[in-house]
Amino acid sequence: MTNTSAIRTHDLTKSYGSLTAVRGLNLSVAPKRITAFLGQNGAGKSTTIKMLLGMTRPSSGDGTVLGKRITDPAENRELRREVAYVAEDKPLYGYMTVEQTILFASSFYSDWRPDEAIRLLSEYRLPPQRKVKSLSKGMRTKLALLLAFARRPELLILDEPSEGLDPVAIEHLLQTLVTRAAEGVAIFFSSHQISEVERVADHVCILEKGGLLLDASLDHLRQFYRRIELVFPFPPPEREFQITGVERIQTKGHRMSVFASSNAEDVVERAHNLNAVSVEVAPVGLRDIFLETVKEN
Amino acid sequence: MLWYKAWLETRSRFLTSLATLTIFCAFFVRHAQGLIGPGWTADHNRLLFVTQQFLVIMWILAAVLLGMGGIVREKAIGISSLTLSLPVSRARLLAVRAGTGVLEAIALGVAPWTIIFLVSFLAGVPILISQVVFYVALLLGGGLTYFAMAVLVSSLIEGEYTAPAVAFGVVLLTAIIFDAWLRPFNLWRMVTGDFYVDRHTYLLSGHFPWRGTLASMSGAAVMLLASIRVIQRRDF
Repeated sequence: MTNTSAIRTHDLTKSYGSLTAVRGLNLSVAPKRITAFLGQNGAGKSTTIKMLLGMTRPSSGDGTVLGKRITDPAENRELRREVAYVAEDKPLYGYMTVEQTILFASSFYSDWRPDEAIRLLSEYRLPPQRKVKSLSKGMRTKLALLLAFARRPELLILDEPSEGLDPVAIEHLLQTLVTRAAEGVAIFFSSHQISEVERVADHVCILEKGGLLLDASLDHLRQFYRRIELVFPFPPPEREFQITGVERIQTKGHRMSVFASSNAEDVVERAHNLNAVSVEVAPVGLRDIFLETVKEN
Repeated sequence: MLWYKAWLETRSRFLTSLATLTIFCAFFVRHAQGLIGPGWTADHNRLLFVTQQFLVIMWILAAVLLGMGGIVREKAIGISSLTLSLPVSRARLLAVRAGTGVLEAIALGVAPWTIIFLVSFLAGVPILISQVVFYVALLLGGGLTYFAMAVLVSSLIEGEYTAPAVAFGVVLLTAIIFDAWLRPFNLWRMVTGDFYVDRHTYLLSGHFPWRGTLASMSGAAVMLLASIRVIQRRDF
């Protein structure tokens, strides 16, 4: 594994007629890290992943995955040897049994680990002779995850991997992600479960309407993002707080709530200078950051 | 393993078609028994010719069904991303699917005539092997064009049921249009042997239509290449 980005895109754009699903996306995913890809439904997450894996051609722009160009069919085919991917809808062939599915998938990858496949088969309690079409949603998700985790790829791309899983399986999944990242695998995953993201991700990218709204490490978010609740003896002077780092201000009566991505100290200082009767500074969770960022947009 | 996948994907269609054609052969044997007499007559040859007419209908239906499927259908049912994430080119995906379909279509063409030949032989009314070969060669030489057309339609049209409906429509439409205005080029009549049968002896006679076969095979190749191109350029 090199130290260059596992994924890098340059002005990646995808339009379907008048609808732009992804617009000018400049993304960089670090190796050996867990990067979460957040966004509302229809934000462009899956389209971006499909472009990375050559399923959909970008309307403009380009990108690389593990140093290979995504728009070159031959290079894209090569990069798919080194990437394990679990798609959003957990696609599997209904006419195959679990065992046939594993045999089929294993034949394409030199990094396949038969011992790990057997271990996961037992751990996930998947019936080898059962037809995929008769598996429950959770079982199908587990089989899709097995196909990815039984390999030793350089990059794992997971599109909503915990969907359909029970809490025990989700816990196992999160632990596996952390272990794999520690082993040097770059992980890029999209999820709507922000609490899961908060537990395992090193880096967060928020996509909205096809554009990147936020691209920061979770440490950075924890360190700098703050919500400051202020109470004044008079109607709060909102304009005094429109400074760098303040993302959103909400005023109600004599109360004011400031959402800041940085400069929280300046906000507090200004509040004291303006004789605020109450100043409360609280760290902000990823869920609030996500909601505020999307709302702001 | 792509061949294995293609086989698993099509085997129920293939085996159902094979069973249907085999059952049909039993009807041939039943009718042939009624014709058993002191020697081979034109009635036997006529029965062979009529058999080919029905075989062609069933074989083309089967070939069109075998041509269905692939990643466009997988997209319609939401599983194409598994296939497309494999480190395999789209051209190879389609080539393997078409290759499997061609082999199955050949088996479906050869099997019924082999059964008819063997049963006739065992029943003491042996059929001329040259006639059997002629019928099989016409069926496969011309008929694979219908398979290629089905592959092209399945590459262009996404719906799980729309694609076969369109493919069957194209088969019917081309048969009607060519019969009405371009009869000498009607592939259906070539495949059934209608152009080559002697109406007195009901034997296929004359030279094998190499040029016609070559033209239809070329058409099939062009359609398969077009299918590859369509699949390569398509967004999933």
